[in-house]
Amino acid sequence: MTSSKRTDACPEDQAPAALQAAAGDSPQASAGHGEGGLRPAARAAGITRRSFALGCTGAAALLALGGAVQAFGSDALVRPPGGQDEGAFIAACIRCDKCIQACPEGAVVPAPLEKGLLNARTPTLDFKLGWCDYCEGSHAGVPQCAALCPTEALRLPSGARPEDVVIGKAYIVREWCLAWRLKNCRICVDACPYDAIELNGDGLPVVLLDKCNGCGLCENLCISMIGTRIVDKATDRAVTVRPTAVVEGLLAREAGVGGRP
Amino acid sequence: MRPRPRIKAKDLRALAIITVVAVIAVAGMFNSALSGAGNLSSFGYGLISAVCPLGAVEAMIAANTVIPRALLSLGVVLLLAVLFGRAFCAWVCPAPLLQRWFPGRRGTKNGSSGQDGPDGEGGQPGPGAPASDSRAYRLMRSVGFDSRYIVLGGALVSTAAFGFPVFCLVCPVGLVFATIFAVFRLFAFGELTVTLLAFPIILVLELVVFRKWCTRICPLGALVSLMAAANRFFRVSWDESKCLEATQGMRCSLCHKACSREKVDPRGKEPAARGPNSCTKCRECTDACPAKAISFPFLSE
Repeated sequence: MTSSKRTDACPEDQAPAALQAAAGDSPQASAGHGEGGLRPAARAAGITRRSFALGCTGAAALLALGGAVQAFGSDALVRPPGGQDEGAFIAACIRCDKCIQACPEGAVVPAPLEKGLLNARTPTLDFKLGWCDYCEGSHAGVPQCAALCPTEALRLPSGARPEDVVIGKAYIVREWCLAWRLKNCRICVDACPYDAIELNGDGLPVVLLDKCNGCGLCENLCISMIGTRIVDKATDRAVTVRPTAVVEGLLAREAGVGGRP
Repeated sequence: MRPRPRIKAKDLRALAIITVVAVIAVAGMFNSALSGAGNLSSFGYGLISAVCPLGAVEAMIAANTVIPRALLSLGVVLLLAVLFGRAFCAWVCPAPLLQRWFPGRRGTKNGSSGQDGPDGEGGQPGPGAPASDSRAYRLMRSVGFDSRYIVLGGALVSTAAFGFPVFCLVCPVGLVFATIFAVFRLFAFGELTVTLLAFPIILVLELVVFRKWCTRICPLGALVSLMAAANRFFRVSWDESKCLEATQGMRCSLCHKACSREKVDPRGKEPAARGPNSCTKCRECTDACPAKAISFPFLSE
Protein backbone atom coordinates (compact mmCIF):
# COMPACT_ATOMS: atom_id res chain seq x y z
CA MET A 1 0.00 0.00 0.00
CA THR A 2 2.93 2.26 -0.51
CA SER A 3 1.16 3.84 -3.42
CA SER A 4 -1.03 5.87 -1.09
CA LYS A 5 2.01 7.59 0.29
CA ARG A 6 3.15 8.45 -3.18
CA THR A 7 -0.27 9.87 -3.84
CA ASP A 8 -0.05 11.89 -0.68
CA ALA A 9 3.08 13.61 -1.85
CA CYS A 10 1.67 14.88 -5.10
CA PRO A 11 0.00 18.22 -4.59
CA GLU A 12 0.35 19.00 -8.26
CA ASP A 13 -2.45 16.55 -8.76
CA GLN A 14 -4.90 19.38 -8.43
CA ALA A 15 -3.23 21.42 -11.09
CA PRO A 16 -4.33 19.36 -14.08
CA ALA A 17 -7.90 19.57 -12.84
CA ALA A 18 -7.80 23.31 -12.74
CA LEU A 19 -6.08 23.50 -16.10
CA GLN A 20 -8.55 21.20 -17.71
CA ALA A 21 -11.50 22.91 -16.18
CA ALA A 22 -10.20 26.19 -17.52
CA ALA A 23 -9.14 25.06 -20.94
CA GLY A 24 -11.78 22.41 -21.46
CA ASP A 25 -9.17 19.87 -22.43
CA SER A 26 -10.22 16.87 -24.42
CA PRO A 27 -9.71 13.38 -22.96
CA GLN A 28 -6.88 12.74 -25.40
CA ALA A 29 -5.03 15.77 -24.18
CA SER A 30 -5.44 14.78 -20.56
CA ALA A 31 -4.27 11.25 -21.30
CA GLY A 32 -0.97 12.66 -22.42
CA HIS A 33 -0.57 14.61 -19.23
CA GLY A 34 2.04 12.51 -17.42
CA GLU A 35 0.71 11.79 -13.91
CA GLY A 36 -2.83 12.56 -14.91
CA GLY A 37 -2.70 10.06 -17.76
CA LEU A 38 -5.09 7.14 -17.71
CA ARG A 39 -4.88 3.51 -18.55
CA PRO A 40 -7.69 2.24 -20.74
CA ALA A 41 -9.30 0.38 -17.82
CA ALA A 42 -9.02 3.36 -15.54
CA ARG A 43 -10.22 5.69 -18.26
CA ALA A 44 -13.36 3.65 -18.68
CA ALA A 45 -13.97 3.96 -14.97
CA GLY A 46 -13.32 7.68 -15.01
CA ILE A 47 -10.67 7.63 -12.31
CA THR A 48 -7.03 8.57 -12.27
CA ARG A 49 -4.29 6.03 -12.68
CA ARG A 50 -3.15 6.82 -9.16
CA SER A 51 -6.58 6.17 -7.73
CA PHE A 52 -6.86 3.02 -9.81
CA ALA A 53 -3.52 1.78 -8.47
CA LEU A 54 -4.51 2.55 -4.88
CA GLY A 55 -7.74 0.61 -5.26
CA CYS A 56 -5.93 -2.34 -6.81
CA THR A 57 -3.32 -2.30 -4.05
CA GLY A 58 -6.04 -2.33 -1.40
CA ALA A 59 -7.89 -5.14 -3.14
CA ALA A 60 -4.66 -7.13 -3.51
CA ALA A 61 -3.87 -6.58 0.18
CA LEU A 62 -7.24 -8.03 1.20
CA LEU A 63 -6.74 -11.01 -1.13
CA ALA A 64 -3.27 -11.56 0.33
CA LEU A 65 -4.66 -11.26 3.85
CA GLY A 66 -7.33 -13.87 3.15
CA GLY A 67 -4.81 -16.23 1.58
CA ALA A 68 -2.22 -15.78 4.31
CA VAL A 69 -4.72 -16.33 7.10
CA GLN A 70 -5.96 -19.48 5.46
CA ALA A 71 -2.46 -20.72 4.66
CA PHE A 72 -1.29 -20.33 8.25
CA GLY A 73 -4.31 -22.15 9.62
CA SER A 74 -5.64 -21.54 13.11
CA ASP A 75 -6.06 -23.34 16.42
CA ALA A 76 -9.22 -25.33 16.99
CA LEU A 77 -11.31 -23.61 19.64
CA VAL A 78 -14.25 -24.65 21.78
CA ARG A 79 -17.22 -22.80 20.27
CA PRO A 80 -20.53 -21.85 21.89
CA PRO A 81 -23.51 -24.11 21.14
CA GLY A 82 -24.33 -24.14 17.44
CA GLY A 83 -20.83 -23.26 16.27
CA GLN A 84 -19.45 -26.79 16.12
CA ASP A 85 -19.24 -26.91 12.31
CA GLU A 86 -16.10 -24.78 12.25
CA GLY A 87 -16.20 -24.10 8.51
CA ALA A 88 -19.79 -22.84 8.59
CA PHE A 89 -19.11 -20.90 11.77
CA ILE A 90 -16.03 -19.06 10.56
CA ALA A 91 -17.75 -18.28 7.24
CA ALA A 92 -20.57 -16.38 8.90
CA CYS A 93 -19.13 -14.89 12.10
CA ILE A 94 -18.76 -11.11 11.78
CA ARG A 95 -17.34 -10.68 15.30
CA CYS A 96 -20.26 -8.61 16.54
CA ASP A 97 -19.88 -9.54 20.24
CA LYS A 98 -23.58 -10.38 20.64
CA CYS A 99 -23.07 -13.95 21.86
CA ILE A 100 -20.33 -12.81 24.22
CA GLN A 101 -22.58 -10.22 25.81
CA ALA A 102 -25.66 -12.44 25.80
CA CYS A 103 -24.22 -15.35 27.80
CA PRO A 104 -25.87 -15.24 31.26
CA GLU A 105 -22.94 -17.21 32.65
CA GLY A 106 -20.31 -14.91 31.13
CA ALA A 107 -18.67 -18.03 29.74
CA VAL A 108 -18.53 -16.84 26.12
CA VAL A 109 -15.43 -14.71 25.61
CA PRO A 110 -13.66 -13.19 22.61
CA ALA A 111 -10.71 -15.29 21.51
CA PRO A 112 -7.45 -13.38 21.85
CA LEU A 113 -5.11 -12.67 18.96
CA GLU A 114 -2.78 -15.39 20.30
CA LYS A 115 -5.21 -17.94 18.89
CA GLY A 116 -4.63 -16.64 15.37
CA LEU A 117 -5.81 -13.65 13.34
CA LEU A 118 -8.76 -15.64 12.04
CA ASN A 119 -9.85 -16.61 15.54
CA ALA A 120 -9.27 -13.21 17.12
CA ARG A 121 -12.52 -11.71 18.46
CA THR A 122 -14.55 -14.81 17.57
CA PRO A 123 -16.44 -16.37 20.49
CA THR A 124 -14.95 -19.20 22.47
CA LEU A 125 -15.80 -20.56 25.90
CA ASP A 126 -13.84 -19.84 29.05
CA PHE A 127 -15.04 -22.37 31.59
CA LYS A 128 -13.06 -20.68 34.32
CA LEU A 129 -15.65 -17.89 34.18
CA GLY A 130 -18.75 -20.01 33.84
CA TRP A 131 -20.16 -23.12 32.27
CA CYS A 132 -22.80 -23.80 29.66
CA ASP A 133 -26.16 -24.91 31.03
CA TYR A 134 -27.71 -24.28 27.59
CA CYS A 135 -29.56 -21.44 29.29
CA GLU A 136 -31.86 -23.93 31.01
CA GLY A 137 -31.68 -21.94 34.22
CA SER A 138 -32.18 -18.51 32.72
CA HIS A 139 -33.91 -18.79 29.34
CA ALA A 140 -35.89 -22.04 29.38
CA GLY A 141 -33.21 -23.98 27.54
CA VAL A 142 -32.83 -21.59 24.60
CA PRO A 143 -29.11 -20.79 24.38
CA GLN A 144 -28.99 -17.01 24.04
CA CYS A 145 -25.70 -16.95 22.12
CA ALA A 146 -27.18 -18.94 19.25
CA ALA A 147 -30.58 -17.26 19.50
CA LEU A 148 -29.13 -13.78 19.11
CA CYS A 149 -26.53 -14.55 16.44
CA PRO A 150 -27.62 -12.36 13.50
CA THR A 151 -25.68 -14.23 10.83
CA GLU A 152 -26.42 -17.81 11.91
CA ALA A 153 -22.77 -18.50 12.59
CA LEU A 154 -24.13 -20.11 15.76
CA ARG A 155 -27.06 -22.17 14.61
CA LEU A 156 -28.94 -24.81 16.54
CA PRO A 157 -31.43 -27.18 14.95
CA SER A 158 -34.92 -26.56 16.29
CA GLY A 159 -35.70 -28.61 19.36
CA ALA A 160 -32.05 -29.39 20.00
CA ARG A 161 -31.47 -30.85 23.45
CA PRO A 162 -28.27 -30.31 25.44
CA GLU A 163 -27.39 -33.97 24.93
CA ASP A 164 -27.37 -33.41 21.16
CA VAL A 165 -25.15 -30.35 21.17
CA VAL A 166 -21.60 -31.45 21.83
CA ILE A 167 -19.49 -28.37 22.55
CA GLY A 168 -16.36 -30.43 23.16
CA LYS A 169 -15.08 -33.17 25.43
CA ALA A 170 -13.62 -33.08 28.90
CA TYR A 171 -10.06 -34.35 29.19
CA ILE A 172 -8.25 -35.15 32.41
CA VAL A 173 -4.50 -34.63 32.62
CA ARG A 174 -3.78 -37.28 35.21
CA GLU A 175 -0.42 -35.85 36.28
CA TRP A 176 -2.14 -32.64 37.32
CA CYS A 177 -5.20 -34.21 38.95
CA LEU A 178 -5.59 -34.17 42.69
CA ALA A 179 -7.53 -37.43 42.69
CA TRP A 180 -4.96 -39.22 40.53
CA ARG A 181 -2.09 -38.05 42.73
CA LEU A 182 -3.51 -38.03 46.21
CA LYS A 183 -6.91 -39.68 45.87
CA ASN A 184 -10.15 -38.66 47.47
CA CYS A 185 -11.13 -35.75 45.23
CA ARG A 186 -14.41 -36.31 43.43
CA ILE A 187 -15.59 -32.79 42.75
CA CYS A 188 -15.91 -33.26 38.98
CA VAL A 189 -17.57 -36.63 39.39
CA ASP A 190 -20.24 -35.17 41.64
CA ALA A 191 -20.66 -32.02 39.57
CA CYS A 192 -21.19 -33.47 36.11
CA PRO A 193 -24.87 -32.98 35.15
CA TYR A 194 -24.62 -35.76 32.55
CA ASP A 195 -22.88 -38.39 34.72
CA ALA A 196 -20.08 -38.34 32.19
CA ILE A 197 -17.29 -38.59 34.75
CA GLU A 198 -17.18 -41.66 36.94
CA LEU A 199 -14.74 -43.27 39.34
CA ASN A 200 -12.97 -46.30 37.94
CA GLY A 201 -12.18 -49.45 39.88
CA ASP A 202 -9.36 -47.71 41.72
CA GLY A 203 -11.58 -44.78 42.72
CA LEU A 204 -10.03 -42.45 40.13
CA PRO A 205 -12.06 -40.14 37.87
CA VAL A 206 -12.36 -40.97 34.17
CA VAL A 207 -14.39 -39.29 31.43
CA LEU A 208 -17.08 -41.24 29.60
CA LEU A 209 -16.70 -39.73 26.15
CA ASP A 210 -20.06 -40.82 24.82
CA LYS A 211 -21.89 -39.03 27.63
CA CYS A 212 -19.78 -35.86 27.83
CA ASN A 213 -21.05 -32.91 25.84
CA GLY A 214 -18.53 -30.36 26.98
CA CYS A 215 -20.70 -28.24 29.26
CA GLY A 216 -17.59 -27.32 31.24
CA LEU A 217 -18.95 -27.57 34.80
CA CYS A 218 -16.14 -30.00 35.70
CA GLU A 219 -13.50 -27.53 34.51
CA ASN A 220 -15.33 -24.68 36.22
CA LEU A 221 -15.21 -26.44 39.59
CA CYS A 222 -11.84 -28.25 39.35
CA ILE A 223 -9.67 -27.10 42.24
CA SER A 224 -6.31 -28.27 40.89
CA MET A 225 -5.19 -24.78 39.89
CA ILE A 226 -7.13 -22.68 42.33
CA GLY A 227 -4.90 -21.02 44.87
CA THR A 228 -1.96 -23.34 44.42
CA ARG A 229 -0.82 -25.79 41.79
CA ILE A 230 -0.86 -29.46 42.60
CA VAL A 231 2.01 -29.98 40.20
CA ASP A 232 4.53 -27.23 39.54
CA LYS A 233 4.60 -27.70 35.80
CA ALA A 234 0.82 -27.66 35.44
CA THR A 235 -0.33 -24.92 33.09
CA ASP A 236 -4.05 -25.45 33.38
CA ARG A 237 -6.67 -27.16 35.47
CA ALA A 238 -6.51 -30.93 35.49
CA VAL A 239 -9.83 -31.33 33.72
CA THR A 240 -10.50 -29.07 30.76
CA VAL A 241 -12.97 -29.11 27.90
CA ARG A 242 -11.36 -29.07 24.47
CA PRO A 243 -12.69 -29.46 20.94
CA THR A 244 -13.87 -33.01 20.29
CA ALA A 245 -11.32 -33.60 17.54
CA VAL A 246 -8.49 -32.42 19.79
CA VAL A 247 -9.49 -34.82 22.57
CA GLU A 248 -9.83 -37.69 20.11
CA GLY A 249 -6.34 -36.89 18.85
CA LEU A 250 -4.93 -36.86 22.38
CA LEU A 251 -6.57 -40.19 23.21
CA ALA A 252 -5.38 -41.76 19.97
CA ARG A 253 -1.83 -40.65 20.70
CA GLU A 254 -2.00 -42.10 24.19
CA ALA A 255 -3.32 -45.38 22.81
CA GLY A 256 -0.50 -45.35 20.27
CA VAL A 257 2.21 -45.17 22.93
CA GLY A 258 0.74 -48.04 24.87
CA GLY A 259 -1.94 -46.64 27.09
CA ARG A 260 -1.87 -43.94 29.69
CA PRO A 261 0.71 -43.76 32.44
CA MET B 1 -28.11 36.23 7.43
CA ARG B 2 -28.74 34.05 10.47
CA PRO B 3 -26.31 34.26 13.36
CA ARG B 4 -23.59 31.68 13.24
CA PRO B 5 -24.69 28.48 14.96
CA ARG B 6 -23.21 28.17 18.38
CA ILE B 7 -22.19 24.55 18.02
CA LYS B 8 -19.96 23.78 15.07
CA ALA B 9 -20.79 20.78 12.91
CA LYS B 10 -17.52 19.10 13.75
CA ASP B 11 -18.29 19.26 17.46
CA LEU B 12 -21.78 17.95 16.86
CA ARG B 13 -20.32 15.06 14.89
CA ALA B 14 -17.84 14.29 17.65
CA LEU B 15 -20.67 14.33 20.16
CA ALA B 16 -22.75 11.96 18.03
CA ILE B 17 -19.87 9.51 17.56
CA ILE B 18 -18.89 9.59 21.22
CA THR B 19 -22.52 8.96 22.20
CA VAL B 20 -22.76 5.96 19.87
CA VAL B 21 -19.49 4.49 21.12
CA ALA B 22 -20.37 5.16 24.77
CA VAL B 23 -23.82 3.56 24.53
CA ILE B 24 -22.40 0.47 22.84
CA ALA B 25 -19.49 0.24 25.30
CA VAL B 26 -21.72 0.62 28.38
CA ALA B 27 -24.29 -1.85 27.02
CA GLY B 28 -21.49 -4.33 26.38
CA MET B 29 -19.75 -3.94 29.71
CA PHE B 30 -22.59 -3.99 32.17
CA ASN B 31 -25.43 -6.36 32.65
CA SER B 32 -28.32 -4.25 31.53
CA ALA B 33 -31.53 -4.36 29.56
CA LEU B 34 -29.32 -4.08 26.50
CA SER B 35 -27.29 -7.20 27.28
CA GLY B 36 -26.53 -8.92 24.03
CA ALA B 37 -26.82 -5.67 22.10
CA GLY B 38 -23.56 -6.34 20.29
CA ASN B 39 -21.08 -3.83 18.96
CA LEU B 40 -21.61 -1.56 15.96
CA SER B 41 -21.19 -4.56 13.65
CA SER B 42 -24.63 -5.68 14.76
CA PHE B 43 -26.18 -3.38 17.30
CA GLY B 44 -29.72 -3.88 18.44
CA TYR B 45 -32.12 -5.24 20.98
CA GLY B 46 -32.92 -8.93 21.16
CA LEU B 47 -33.55 -10.36 17.72
CA ILE B 48 -33.71 -6.91 16.12
CA SER B 49 -30.33 -5.59 15.14
CA ALA B 50 -28.74 -3.54 12.43
CA VAL B 51 -26.14 -5.86 10.95
CA CYS B 52 -23.18 -4.23 9.23
CA PRO B 53 -24.11 -4.32 5.53
CA LEU B 54 -20.61 -5.35 4.47
CA GLY B 55 -20.50 -8.04 7.17
CA ALA B 56 -23.93 -9.29 6.07
CA VAL B 57 -22.87 -9.48 2.40
CA GLU B 58 -19.54 -11.11 3.29
CA ALA B 59 -21.19 -13.67 5.58
CA MET B 60 -23.70 -14.63 2.91
CA ILE B 61 -20.98 -14.94 0.27
CA ALA B 62 -18.67 -16.97 2.54
CA ALA B 63 -21.46 -19.19 3.86
CA ASN B 64 -22.85 -19.42 0.32
CA THR B 65 -26.38 -19.15 1.60
CA VAL B 66 -29.10 -16.60 2.25
CA ILE B 67 -29.13 -15.58 5.90
CA PRO B 68 -32.64 -14.21 6.58
CA ARG B 69 -31.78 -11.77 9.35
CA ALA B 70 -28.71 -10.51 7.50
CA LEU B 71 -30.74 -9.99 4.34
CA LEU B 72 -33.53 -8.23 6.23
CA SER B 73 -31.01 -5.99 7.90
CA LEU B 74 -29.46 -5.21 4.53
CA GLY B 75 -32.87 -3.95 3.44
CA VAL B 76 -33.16 -1.81 6.55
CA VAL B 77 -29.72 -0.33 5.96
CA LEU B 78 -30.75 0.48 2.38
CA LEU B 79 -33.80 2.32 3.75
CA LEU B 80 -31.51 4.21 6.10
CA ALA B 81 -29.38 5.14 3.09
CA VAL B 82 -32.47 6.45 1.32
CA LEU B 83 -33.13 8.57 4.40
CA PHE B 84 -29.66 9.64 5.45
CA GLY B 85 -27.36 8.76 2.57
CA ARG B 86 -23.80 8.25 3.65
CA ALA B 87 -24.21 10.10 6.95
CA PHE B 88 -22.94 7.00 8.79
CA CYS B 89 -19.40 7.88 7.68
CA ALA B 90 -19.45 11.28 9.41
CA TRP B 91 -21.87 10.84 12.28
CA VAL B 92 -21.58 7.25 13.52
CA CYS B 93 -18.33 5.62 12.44
CA PRO B 94 -15.55 6.23 14.99
CA ALA B 95 -12.77 6.23 12.37
CA PRO B 96 -12.90 9.95 11.41
CA LEU B 97 -12.89 10.99 15.06
CA LEU B 98 -9.80 8.87 15.70
CA GLN B 99 -8.15 10.52 12.72
CA ARG B 100 -8.92 13.89 14.23
CA TRP B 101 -7.51 12.87 17.62
CA PHE B 102 -4.36 11.31 16.20
CA PRO B 103 -3.32 13.63 13.44
CA GLY B 104 -0.70 12.18 11.21
CA ARG B 105 2.29 13.89 9.71
CA ARG B 106 0.21 16.23 7.66
CA GLY B 107 -2.74 16.31 9.99
CA THR B 108 -3.83 19.79 10.98
CA LYS B 109 -3.92 20.74 14.61
CA ASN B 110 -5.90 23.92 14.18
CA GLY B 111 -9.60 24.45 13.88
CA SER B 112 -9.99 22.50 10.68
CA SER B 113 -8.79 19.29 12.28
CA GLY B 114 -10.59 16.23 11.08
CA GLN B 115 -10.01 17.50 7.60
CA ASP B 116 -6.99 16.41 5.72
CA GLY B 117 -4.55 19.08 4.79
CA PRO B 118 -5.53 20.77 1.58
CA ASP B 119 -2.20 20.05 0.00
CA GLY B 120 -2.07 16.36 0.65
CA GLU B 121 -5.30 15.27 -0.89
CA GLY B 122 -4.40 14.39 -4.40
CA GLY B 123 -5.98 11.67 -6.42
CA GLN B 124 -9.57 12.75 -6.54
CA PRO B 125 -11.41 11.05 -9.33
CA GLY B 126 -12.03 14.22 -11.25
CA PRO B 127 -8.68 15.38 -12.56
CA GLY B 128 -7.84 13.85 -15.83
CA ALA B 129 -11.18 12.14 -15.99
CA PRO B 130 -12.33 12.22 -19.56
CA ALA B 131 -15.32 14.31 -20.42
CA SER B 132 -16.62 11.32 -22.31
CA ASP B 133 -20.33 10.78 -22.57
CA SER B 134 -20.21 7.01 -22.87
CA ARG B 135 -22.89 5.15 -20.94
CA ALA B 136 -20.40 3.19 -18.86
CA TYR B 137 -18.62 6.39 -17.97
CA ARG B 138 -21.81 8.15 -16.93
CA LEU B 139 -22.82 5.16 -14.81
CA MET B 140 -19.44 5.21 -13.07
CA ARG B 141 -19.78 8.94 -12.59
CA SER B 142 -23.24 8.62 -11.13
CA VAL B 143 -21.96 6.38 -8.31
CA GLY B 144 -18.75 8.38 -8.02
CA PHE B 145 -16.54 5.46 -8.94
CA ASP B 146 -13.20 5.56 -7.13
CA SER B 147 -10.56 3.38 -5.53
CA ARG B 148 -12.85 2.35 -2.63
CA TYR B 149 -15.02 0.31 -4.98
CA ILE B 150 -12.01 -1.64 -6.21
CA VAL B 151 -11.08 -2.39 -2.58
CA LEU B 152 -14.70 -3.44 -1.97
CA GLY B 153 -14.46 -5.78 -4.93
CA GLY B 154 -11.22 -7.20 -3.55
CA ALA B 155 -12.83 -7.77 -0.15
CA LEU B 156 -15.75 -9.67 -1.67
CA VAL B 157 -13.58 -11.74 -4.03
CA SER B 158 -11.24 -12.62 -1.17
CA THR B 159 -14.22 -13.56 1.00
CA ALA B 160 -15.58 -15.82 -1.73
CA ALA B 161 -12.17 -17.38 -2.36
CA PHE B 162 -11.19 -18.10 1.23
CA GLY B 163 -14.56 -18.66 2.87
CA PHE B 164 -14.64 -16.10 5.67
CA PRO B 165 -15.44 -12.38 5.96
CA VAL B 166 -11.96 -11.08 5.21
CA PHE B 167 -12.51 -7.37 5.77
CA CYS B 168 -14.00 -8.03 9.24
CA LEU B 169 -10.49 -9.04 10.38
CA VAL B 170 -9.14 -5.53 9.83
CA CYS B 171 -12.28 -3.39 9.95
CA PRO B 172 -11.45 -0.25 11.96
CA VAL B 173 -14.97 -0.14 13.44
CA GLY B 174 -14.58 -3.67 14.74
CA LEU B 175 -11.08 -2.98 16.01
CA VAL B 176 -12.21 0.12 17.92
CA PHE B 177 -14.78 -1.87 19.88
CA ALA B 178 -12.47 -4.87 20.22
CA THR B 179 -9.91 -2.56 21.81
CA ILE B 180 -12.46 -1.00 24.16
CA PHE B 181 -13.72 -4.41 25.27
CA ALA B 182 -10.18 -5.79 25.57
CA VAL B 183 -9.33 -2.97 27.98
CA PHE B 184 -12.55 -3.67 29.87
CA ARG B 185 -11.76 -7.39 30.10
CA LEU B 186 -8.26 -6.62 31.32
CA PHE B 187 -9.70 -4.90 34.37
CA ALA B 188 -12.80 -7.04 34.84
CA PHE B 189 -11.30 -10.51 34.29
CA GLY B 190 -7.55 -9.92 34.23
CA GLU B 191 -7.36 -11.07 30.61
CA LEU B 192 -3.97 -9.79 29.49
CA THR B 193 -3.61 -10.56 25.79
CA VAL B 194 -1.64 -9.44 22.76
CA THR B 195 -4.96 -8.08 21.51
CA LEU B 196 -4.58 -5.09 23.81
CA LEU B 197 -1.48 -3.94 21.99
CA ALA B 198 -1.97 -5.32 18.49
CA PHE B 199 -5.43 -3.93 17.72
CA PRO B 200 -4.55 -0.31 18.50
CA ILE B 201 -1.42 -0.69 16.37
CA ILE B 202 -3.42 -2.00 13.42
CA LEU B 203 -5.88 0.86 13.92
CA VAL B 204 -3.12 3.45 13.92
CA LEU B 205 -1.59 1.89 10.81
CA GLU B 206 -4.89 2.02 9.00
CA LEU B 207 -6.16 5.40 10.06
CA VAL B 208 -3.10 7.50 10.81
CA VAL B 209 -0.63 6.16 8.26
CA PHE B 210 -3.31 5.96 5.59
CA ARG B 211 -4.87 9.34 6.18
CA LYS B 212 -7.20 8.80 3.28
CA TRP B 213 -8.63 5.56 4.63
CA CYS B 214 -12.20 6.89 4.69
CA THR B 215 -12.22 8.57 1.30
CA ARG B 216 -9.97 6.30 -0.72
CA ILE B 217 -9.82 2.83 0.84
CA CYS B 218 -12.70 1.89 3.14
CA PRO B 219 -14.88 -0.75 1.44
CA LEU B 220 -17.64 -0.26 4.01
CA GLY B 221 -17.83 3.39 3.02
CA ALA B 222 -17.90 2.28 -0.61
CA LEU B 223 -20.88 0.03 0.04
CA VAL B 224 -22.67 2.81 1.93
CA SER B 225 -21.89 5.19 -0.94
CA LEU B 226 -23.38 2.73 -3.40
CA MET B 227 -26.55 2.58 -1.33
CA ALA B 228 -26.50 6.37 -0.91
CA ALA B 229 -27.10 6.67 -4.64
CA ALA B 230 -30.72 6.04 -3.59
CA ASN B 231 -30.63 8.87 -1.03
CA ARG B 232 -33.69 11.13 -1.26
CA PHE B 233 -33.78 12.97 2.06
CA PHE B 234 -31.49 15.43 3.84
CA ARG B 235 -29.66 16.06 0.57
CA VAL B 236 -27.33 18.99 0.34
CA SER B 237 -29.22 22.00 -0.95
CA TRP B 238 -27.61 25.08 -2.45
CA ASP B 239 -29.59 28.30 -2.44
CA GLU B 240 -28.49 30.17 -5.53
CA SER B 241 -30.28 33.34 -4.41
CA LYS B 242 -28.01 33.59 -1.38
CA CYS B 243 -24.72 32.37 -2.86
CA LEU B 244 -22.16 35.17 -3.15
CA GLU B 245 -20.83 33.70 -6.35
CA ALA B 246 -24.19 33.59 -8.03
CA THR B 247 -25.51 36.90 -6.76
CA GLN B 248 -22.44 39.11 -6.57
CA GLY B 249 -20.04 37.35 -8.90
CA MET B 250 -17.49 36.89 -6.13
CA ARG B 251 -14.98 34.07 -6.33
CA CYS B 252 -15.76 32.13 -3.19
CA SER B 253 -15.81 28.31 -3.48
CA LEU B 254 -15.51 28.08 0.32
CA CYS B 255 -18.14 25.32 0.42
CA HIS B 256 -16.25 23.15 -2.02
CA LYS B 257 -12.96 23.86 -0.27
CA ALA B 258 -14.54 22.97 3.09
CA CYS B 259 -15.30 19.55 1.68
CA SER B 260 -11.63 18.65 1.83
CA ARG B 261 -12.31 15.04 2.74
CA GLU B 262 -14.88 14.04 0.21
CA LYS B 263 -14.40 16.72 -2.44
CA VAL B 264 -18.09 17.08 -3.13
CA ASP B 265 -19.24 20.38 -4.58
CA PRO B 266 -22.50 21.49 -2.97
CA ARG B 267 -23.07 23.83 -5.92
CA GLY B 268 -22.61 21.02 -8.42
CA LYS B 269 -20.34 23.27 -10.47
CA GLU B 270 -16.90 21.79 -10.07
CA PRO B 271 -16.39 19.25 -12.85
CA ALA B 272 -13.76 17.42 -10.80
CA ALA B 273 -15.96 17.03 -7.73
CA ARG B 274 -17.25 13.68 -6.53
CA GLY B 275 -20.88 12.74 -6.84
CA PRO B 276 -23.45 13.60 -4.16
CA ASN B 277 -23.54 9.99 -2.96
CA SER B 278 -20.06 10.57 -1.54
CA CYS B 279 -21.48 13.32 0.66
CA THR B 280 -21.40 12.29 4.32
CA LYS B 281 -23.66 15.18 5.36
CA CYS B 282 -20.92 16.37 7.67
CA ARG B 283 -22.20 19.97 7.30
CA GLU B 284 -18.71 21.47 6.96
CA CYS B 285 -19.91 23.30 3.85
CA THR B 286 -22.89 24.69 5.75
CA ASP B 287 -20.54 26.03 8.39
CA ALA B 288 -18.11 27.41 5.82
CA CYS B 289 -20.61 29.33 3.70
CA PRO B 290 -20.50 33.01 4.65
CA ALA B 291 -23.95 33.55 3.14
CA LYS B 292 -25.66 30.52 4.74
CA ALA B 293 -26.65 29.35 1.31
CA ILE B 294 -26.18 25.65 2.03
CA SER B 295 -28.52 23.50 4.06
CA PHE B 296 -29.64 19.91 4.41
CA PRO B 297 -33.45 20.10 4.30
CA PHE B 298 -35.56 17.00 4.91
CA LEU B 299 -36.82 17.20 1.36
CA SER B 300 -35.27 19.54 -1.17
CA GLU B 301 -36.93 20.90 -4.33
